[in-house]
Amino acid sequence: MEVFNYLLGGFANALTPQYLLLAAIGVTIGTAVGVLPGIGPALTVALLLPLTYSFDPAGALIMFAGIYYGGMYGGSTTSILLNTPGESASVATTFEGFAMAKSGRAGPALATAAIGSFVAGTLSTMLLTFVAPLLARVALLFQPADYFALTVLAFVSVTALVGSSLIRGMISLFIGLFFGLIGIDVLSGQARLTFGVVELLDGIDVVVVAVGLFAVGEALYVASQLRHSKEEILDVRSSVWMNREEWRRSWPAWLRGALIGFPLGALPAGGAEIPTFLSYTLEKRLSKHKDEWGRGAIEGVAGPEAANNAAFSGVLVPLLTLGLPTSATAAILLAAFQIYNLQPGPLLFQKSPDLVWTLIASLYIGNVMLLILNLPLIRMWVKILTIPRPLLYSGILVFGTLGVYSMANSFVDVLLMYAIGVIGFFMRRFQLPVGPAILGLILLPLAEAQFRRALAISQGDLSVFVTRPLSLGLLLAALAALVLPYLPALAARLTGKRTSAGRLVFGKGDED
Amino acid sequence: MTPQTRALLALRLAALAVMGLGGIILAQTPQIGQSAGFTVVGPRVFPIIVGIGCLGWGGLFFLRLTAMPDHALIADVAAEEQRTDWPTTLLLLGLLIAYAAALWPLGYVIATTLFFPLSSRVLGSTRLRRDTLAGFLIGLVVYLVFTRLLGVRLPAGMLSGLW
Repeated sequence: MEVFNYLLGGFANALTPQYLLLAAIGVTIGTAVGVLPGIGPALTVALLLPLTYSFDPAGALIMFAGIYYGGMYGGSTTSILLNTPGESASVATTFEGFAMAKSGRAGPALATAAIGSFVAGTLSTMLLTFVAPLLARVALLFQPADYFALTVLAFVSVTALVGSSLIRGMISLFIGLFFGLIGIDVLSGQARLTFGVVELLDGIDVVVVAVGLFAVGEALYVASQLRHSKEEILDVRSSVWMNREEWRRSWPAWLRGALIGFPLGALPAGGAEIPTFLSYTLEKRLSKHKDEWGRGAIEGVAGPEAANNAAFSGVLVPLLTLGLPTSATAAILLAAFQIYNLQPGPLLFQKSPDLVWTLIASLYIGNVMLLILNLPLIRMWVKILTIPRPLLYSGILVFGTLGVYSMANSFVDVLLMYAIGVIGFFMRRFQLPVGPAILGLILLPLAEAQFRRALAISQGDLSVFVTRPLSLGLLLAALAALVLPYLPALAARLTGKRTSAGRLVFGKGDED
Repeated sequence: MTPQTRALLALRLAALAVMGLGGIILAQTPQIGQSAGFTVVGPRVFPIIVGIGCLGWGGLFFLRLTAMPDHALIADVAAEEQRTDWPTTLLLLGLLIAYAAALWPLGYVIATTLFFPLSSRVLGSTRLRRDTLAGFLIGLVVYLVFTRLLGVRLPAGMLSGLW
């Protein structure tokens, strides 16, 4: 019952004009960057971080959360009308969504995506409301060794499950860890890997890395492939609504999508990408209209779109209760918490209950706002798709440069960001996922601090990581995540069958 | 050289670069001062782990490319290699650096008014007048909002007397 009281208190705060305005700004920006290809929630939150230093933390976090799940709504529009996912969580939507739009059914596709996002978003926020406080209580039992094991699990599962190659994922992770090491070591006060550059003593800011890898890397990549891209935007001719048959086929897919998205979002496996593909596969298998698949089956839009919104609430569970980000955007949200001297984790619910519950209440409100933004006002978003690509990317570069430059008016920071952009360009070229690098950068301080703390407690005895059942379990789970993608190939070899079964691929892992 | 061999070469160089990064980290580690007093795990341990990780995974990537090449990856990279428009890419990078360098002396508004249409031109836009106007408006609005509303300092540059 106390959950209800807390939630009511949260609503009382979240419904104040200031927070309502920030939620509205957040979901509007989120929808816009979700619609625009080449810019996603991770980059946007990173860009806005320096501007919100003076904000009150609850307000800033309400806005950032709005950007994150607003991006999930907006991404579907681009997938359906342009056949280009607006962000990585909408890749699965392109298959059936674009097929529907091509056959003149863009309206119902957009409607099932928006309403499904709302249904799943609200349902999963309810799950979050009840699961998070329970998990926060369990998380109080965590000791440094367990926390270290948890970060290892996050590193391994995000790297192994997302992206087509373990080796390339690991390379990306270690590049991120390298960036994380640069600067003064908090525990000993020693400068590390600064190469004598004074500006590096403070470490490399997450904004510099995120803008470099996402914005500059992407713009350079687009410039390099310029001569060979063309795209068509389909019109929304029909009304954005569904008929009875489409409702009947959509709602089971929404519910299944929500039930897949929430738990998988909560697992440390890279956020929304995997659940959308799982939902797509499941709907295809269960469908009674198999002949329609590939030509525009509405379940193929309803399921994945519900799943990616539910996954967002799932991602918040480990983020709020354990301080563990499971996707690049969540990692940047963690950085936002840290700016306000808030450490997400079990104590957050005890120390700042107002903030947590105001944030959770704002999710319910934001979902309603998004439904309005994405059903009656959908045509407005379709318009911003017509911004010419050269102007869009020039704009991204201008705002990226602005975001980094405005932190300290420092030319060196901007040059560093461009240099990281060149690395991002080559990572795209050689198909190295960018997500693990961001996660490595942000989680390194936590992993290292907990590792050193655990060994200080055990007086240097490394067995502390395998003698505690919790820590051992988490490390075994990490091992399982490492092996899992190779299971089909292994099974084929053991049974002596020669199949083409290679490594399982769960997603591309280029969240932006 | 066929596109395939060129792609393979590029990938191998990337693997070597990652190994090189690992080498640099390991070479720099001895310069990290050990903290005074008693510590079980000092500040050098994680740099050593990360350095070895870069060497190891870079090495594995190199081996993988040599022993059992990932044909799909090589084909993708080869196709990209052929499509790549290097002059445009380098020009855009050069423009970016010039933009960053010009922010302080010219001021935010003028630098942005120059950069936006030029970068759009490099990226394929042909409407210089419209793009210049858009660049000027973005620069002006951002400058006013940041300096007046948000209290963030941006360089006024040559126009510093005007506002």
